Amino acid sequence: MLGKRTIKGRIGFAFAVVMLVCFSLLPFAQILSTSLKHQFDWGNPSLIPQALNLNAYKELLGLTEVKKVEIPVAIQKILDNPKLPQDKKDAIAAKYVANDNLFPFGKYMLNSIMFSVGAAFISLIFAVMGAYAISRLRFKGQVVIQRSVLFVYMVGGVLLMVPLYQMAMNIGLASTMWGSVVCLFLIYIVQTLPVGMYMLGNYFRGIPFALEEAAMMDGCSRTEAIIKVVLPLSLPMLATVFIYCFIIGWNEYLFASVFLKQYPEFHTLPLALQELFVSKNAIWDRIMAASMLTLAPIVVCFLFASRFMKGGKTDGGVKG
Amino acid sequence: MASISLKNIVKNYGKTSVVKNIDLEIEDGEFVVLVGPSGCGKSTTLRMIAGLEQASSGDIVIGDKVMNDIEPQHRNIAMVFQNYALYPHKSVRENIVFALRRLKVDEQELQRRLVEISEMLQLEELLDRKPADLSGGQRQRVAMGRAIIRDADVFLFDEPLSNLDAKLRGHMRTEIGKIHNKFGRTSVYVTHDQIEAMTLADKVVVLHDGYIAQAGTPMEIYLDPVNIFVAQFIGSPSMNIVDATLHNDYLQLGEHKLPRNKLSAVSFDDEIPSEGQPVKVGIRPDFFNDKKYFTQSDSSFIFEAMTIELVEPMGFDKEVLFNLAGASIKARLDLRSDVKRGEKLDLLIDLSRVLLFDTNSELRL
Ligand SMILES: Nc1ncnc2c1ncn2[C@@H]1O[C@H](COP(=O)(O)OP(=O)(O)O)[C@@H](O)[C@H]1O
Ligand SMILES: [Mg+2]
Repeated sequence: MLGKRTIKGRIGFAFAVVMLVCFSLLPFAQILSTSLKHQFDWGNPSLIPQALNLNAYKELLGLTEVKKVEIPVAIQKILDNPKLPQDKKDAIAAKYVANDNLFPFGKYMLNSIMFSVGAAFISLIFAVMGAYAISRLRFKGQVVIQRSVLFVYMVGGVLLMVPLYQMAMNIGLASTMWGSVVCLFLIYIVQTLPVGMYMLGNYFRGIPFALEEAAMMDGCSRTEAIIKVVLPLSLPMLATVFIYCFIIGWNEYLFASVFLKQYPEFHTLPLALQELFVSKNAIWDRIMAASMLTLAPIVVCFLFASRFMKGGKTDGGVKG
Repeated sequence: MASISLKNIVKNYGKTSVVKNIDLEIEDGEFVVLVGPSGCGKSTTLRMIAGLEQASSGDIVIGDKVMNDIEPQHRNIAMVFQNYALYPHKSVRENIVFALRRLKVDEQELQRRLVEISEMLQLEELLDRKPADLSGGQRQRVAMGRAIIRDADVFLFDEPLSNLDAKLRGHMRTEIGKIHNKFGRTSVYVTHDQIEAMTLADKVVVLHDGYIAQAGTPMEIYLDPVNIFVAQFIGSPSMNIVDATLHNDYLQLGEHKLPRNKLSAVSFDDEIPSEGQPVKVGIRPDFFNDKKYFTQSDSSFIFEAMTIELVEPMGFDKEVLFNLAGASIKARLDLRSDVKRGEKLDLLIDLSRVLLFDTNSELRL
């Protein structure tokens, strides 16, 4: 019988689902596990650490106390010399206190947030305007624009990297720090805008225009109608597009590596992780902890956005 | 409060002309119903008044202001949409007060009006619900409330009842009538339902294919239609149209000879139509009577012994079908006649109710 569920069928289905989920989650489990293991435990194939090690996380998040480096006796003597001016003393002392070799995870994360949230935000604003135009307005070339929007994706990023960098050099943007930052912003926006526009455009088309007309009859200008009616109704899709843009920016390595190469103070997490991977003192727990912390915001973001993603918001507005 | 005048309004979509030439004066406080078959340009006309469409040519004047280039939000018009167009993300309360909130109406005044309107439309219980949780009739009332809570100059209704079932439609029709009597705002109401047109309107405007076929009071339209289209569109069941021949003294309708001088609804004044000219005769089913229950007068004519082919009892009245001059004719009799199928019946009409139309132009003679 159609739709009838047998016990066997149910078990089989559940089994398949569990398998699939396990398969996709295994790499993440591996990351988490390694990040929590002590060095002696790294070779152990078991996912469960023999002893929990949170040092890597503490270190990355700057929770360890600043290490009191032992100041050698000879130096201490110099410092104790009352003739030495105070600022020189401090300078000398600083050499022995500074934790310079620490991985400045917080800074990288802030950079990543700046690039991905900033680009996602701007991209979303443009996507709203573009999507509204292609879904609601009638103008010459509308269909062509609508269809060619996704064309951007037919050319891979790697192919465009060199020409884009050359162009940025030619107009002088890539030769300054802020210019490079702006370039990267632009690239992230351009990369995410088409899909954002496409997704939002389709969503807008599903919102009856009569709702905007009703708002206009109620005294709203067109812009007001969009803000008060269309956008609230599009929250699920706005959230989706935002997350999409955010993740693209968050994980992007290629363009960041080219444009930010000379500006370590703007390095994003993927760049930093890469450096961590190839550095001589590659410490597995630290690398894995950093990976875990890179993943975390995406998960948080998803959980947060899923609150907006409850569909069916346009139900009940218009009949038939 | 405002009068509306439409001056030679034309609306083209590309090469197709939807509204061809509409000239209409609507007085302050008048309830005008635009009626016509689907696709005749009613909604388009209404939307041009609202400002949601721009007329291709012609002027729209509301009050004493030419509105051609004024945005809909500045026209101070409230509109009830056919599909209601409620804001799905707002509660019923917020839907209704949306326009007032935008205008920053004083909170006390806003609440006062909300209470008044929700009482009038029986929405008190529903104020906190979302449109998705309402039935069709409730949504319709919310849409009404959202429009009438405003202090608009003009109310526009685009087939507001067409999505309701028959019973609810009748109820809401009465409510709309009451609301209009109470507020007395200039209203333009679009419908394809001639009963709504007849019952609600101060003035009925029958649209046909982008033109105004006829405008007038419901009774003028009913008794004095200008052509066969209007005659058949208004009135239910619709007017019987039969081919006949006009002679010098009489009208030959099948084997019946109707005396021509008693056809007082027909103006023969100008040129006397030539002997034997074919015409179309229009008789409303309502104007047939069972001879047994009706006193004859001077202008009565009797179709004797008509064979009744079908009887459709409707409760108070019944519709019967019979054959006249080769056409199937409907008559509406009241409940006293207990005629059965296959029986013969004498039917009486008042000749002053018989209309004649030109065979070619279909215009009234
Ligand atoms: N935006 C449009 N573009 C092209 N044709 C349209 C448009 N809107 C309406 N029409 C056409 O105009 C005619 C009249 O439409 P409308 O005024 O909605 O009729 P109705 O009397 O049923 O309300 C219809 O034939 C419809 O197809
Ligand atoms: Mg319509």
